[in-house]
Amino acid sequence: MISLSKRRFVQLAGLSIANRIVPRWLRAQEPRAQEHSAGRSGNKVIVVTFGGGVRYSETFAPDGLRNIPRLVALRPEGHFFKSCTNSGVLSHFNSTASIVTGNWQRVDDFGFQPPASSTIFECYRKQAGAGPLDAWAVATNKSFSSMGSSSDRALGPNFGANVVLPKQLLLEAVQDVVKKGTAGGVANRDDVLARLEGVLAEGYEGVGWTIFKAGRKLDQQVRDTLVRGLVEYINGPEAPTSGDELTFFITREIMREFAPRLMLVNFWDMDVAHWGSYSLYLNAITKTDRLVGMLWDEIRANSAYAGKTTMLVLPELGRDGDQNTANGFLNHRSGDPSCRNTWLLAMGAGVPKGETDRAVYHVDVAATAAGLLGVKPGEITGVPMRELLL
Amino acid sequence: MAAKTIDKALLDRLPVSFSSYCLDQMKDWDLLFPAEQNYFERLFGLLGRSPGEAVDRLFAPLREIERQMGVNEKTFPRGQFTLEQVDFLNRSPQYTEWRGGITKVFSQLDPLLDAEVARHNHARLVIALAPSQLPADPDRMWTRFPDRGKRVALDLPDRAESFLPLLLTGQEHGAPSIAELFAAGKKGGPYASWIVEAGAGLSKIGTGAAPVVKYSYQALDGYRQRLMKEVQSVVDSQEVPGPRQLSARLKQMKILASEGDLARDPILAEFARAILLSGNGTLLINNTFVEWATVQAVRRARPSVTVVGFGIRNKIKPFSSLLIFADQNASNPIPSQMDTLGSYVDLEVFWQYIWQEFEKYPEYRNNTAYLFAGDGMEQMLVIAPQDFPLLTAEGPFKLPAVFENLKEWLAV
Repeated sequence: MISLSKRRFVQLAGLSIANRIVPRWLRAQEPRAQEHSAGRSGNKVIVVTFGGGVRYSETFAPDGLRNIPRLVALRPEGHFFKSCTNSGVLSHFNSTASIVTGNWQRVDDFGFQPPASSTIFECYRKQAGAGPLDAWAVATNKSFSSMGSSSDRALGPNFGANVVLPKQLLLEAVQDVVKKGTAGGVANRDDVLARLEGVLAEGYEGVGWTIFKAGRKLDQQVRDTLVRGLVEYINGPEAPTSGDELTFFITREIMREFAPRLMLVNFWDMDVAHWGSYSLYLNAITKTDRLVGMLWDEIRANSAYAGKTTMLVLPELGRDGDQNTANGFLNHRSGDPSCRNTWLLAMGAGVPKGETDRAVYHVDVAATAAGLLGVKPGEITGVPMRELLL
Repeated sequence: MAAKTIDKALLDRLPVSFSSYCLDQMKDWDLLFPAEQNYFERLFGLLGRSPGEAVDRLFAPLREIERQMGVNEKTFPRGQFTLEQVDFLNRSPQYTEWRGGITKVFSQLDPLLDAEVARHNHARLVIALAPSQLPADPDRMWTRFPDRGKRVALDLPDRAESFLPLLLTGQEHGAPSIAELFAAGKKGGPYASWIVEAGAGLSKIGTGAAPVVKYSYQALDGYRQRLMKEVQSVVDSQEVPGPRQLSARLKQMKILASEGDLARDPILAEFARAILLSGNGTLLINNTFVEWATVQAVRRARPSVTVVGFGIRNKIKPFSSLLIFADQNASNPIPSQMDTLGSYVDLEVFWQYIWQEFEKYPEYRNNTAYLFAGDGMEQMLVIAPQDFPLLTAEGPFKLPAVFENLKEWLAV
């Protein structure tokens, strides 16, 4: 019989009771939960951003709910952080770089410098010994080509993520079709597809992609995977219209073929707000909502992801408020609350249903992802979202 | 007062981010509107008249923030405020504090500057027009500020095409417009009356007898097409490595005489270039052009009479969002279609934005009548001071009666 001291008995009894009466999220405040955890075995993490920026008022504010029916329906199944704040530089590159590094980034706004501190991709790949096909960033803006790795000399590109920018590929192809003036222009799907494949065959670098050389056989596999995404996109039931749909199809093919454990998916169409059309901005939000829903459907249907994937969805940044001096929703640099105050929806493996008012920050995403993957982030500002690391 | 005439001792007293911004704005003095020149004269006049210690006290918090940010002669060469400096500020951890510091400075200067404006102010008029194709009843219009004004019923003319001439001239044809009447009056002048429109119809109403500033998206088609081609060519040729260098190239792309009368006036020509190349969607979307041109006109020229005519934008064709500097009609042979519902949604936001923009400035507060109307619509929204005649009279009004009220309001 195991003998227990009275003191030890009380300790264990207390812990046992605490497990039943204290909410799970509160227990996560205990020091142990803040420490580096081993992560969940095989857990995968997909970070999805509403790139380009979206305001609360067009999403989870009462009048905005109509624009995001899929997220509204998913919210009860996940954990909703009502306040996720971007306290950093309100440019696209720095905002997303802050998300993937856990530190507020203040590098060149146009992507001429990589993030200044280690990305979650590098930390994961180095510590987990993960191969080059196990971390991907599918993004849009060409400046994001340097998003996959940092300037940290101990890490850097050798441990970074593959970065694919489907919209840049599309842009190249569409411009080429327009220049050639072929009959039907960009309305001719066959012409666009042929040119897409042509651009892809000419090499990734021209469109700002970073794909790690993984041997001839694997390189061909990557190429075939991407082409499949293109074919699905061009020949899909709906007329392809924008870059984000291609971003989705490429993401899905990568998931099906390589099942990476860590992905960043950056949708972007809503940046059309810069054009000054509120209706186009709303349409883009609804499209992104639909694509995020489809991504979640894929996660649940794909055996490599179902039941072991945490998806974190958040706006990269907000946009200026209607009262703002610049020009309202068209821009996102004012620093007013409408620019900074966003939300985060966590879905999937181990995510408790519920919501919290507790403020979290964009830099907390990398810390949380690190916890979920069981790796140690570098020196970072962000802290793990305890609600998700139980 | 050109920048070079500002007292050097005063400039040295000012935080460099503040003085650099002002000097940069003033460097092309001859291309500034009189209202802009007047503002800088009043601003530096006020600072120059103020005791040195008071100026130091006013700017001390901003100086301290600059020190923390690392602002110096290298990061902020005096008089230079380019994208480099904007980036520097944006990327600073103290950016929020810096903005707060600037706001605090102006919160102390503006009441003094505004009081000067108020002493010499006069009645102003803004007419913002929706196109006839907009698929909305009046009760679905201007929904973002319904309680700000009064809905006034109109007695529509028998002929639909008479609506705008009757509203703006009081007659079906051959009479000067309210914009022209004001421009020709004693408070008028070359930049006092403006028409900004998506189409070209409003610009043709009136007699042409007085100088009215006219910016028409449609009329600027040739210039817009050339700009798109030139910008695309610069981007394609990769002559410029990034946005900063592109910005410098864009400044050289001026309107040609063959592309419009605006080329005759260097100030208006430069305004056209700036509107089309610094407002993101202004090259591509007619209503964005109208909104941004109006907002910039208010900020810079402070017109006394402004007629704003929105239109219906076309639906965006597949892939067009990728081709920022391409003519979507050339890239896709599918015929363009009007997006009436989308335009309605766009305009509901823009009504609010342009009204807010006017109300930011002392020239307009408490002495501006705003008429939000739709071509052929039997109701309009009027926001105005209590003494604006239409607010107290009983409608419905015939359009010539509305016009007479506008003349009375402006004393023309």
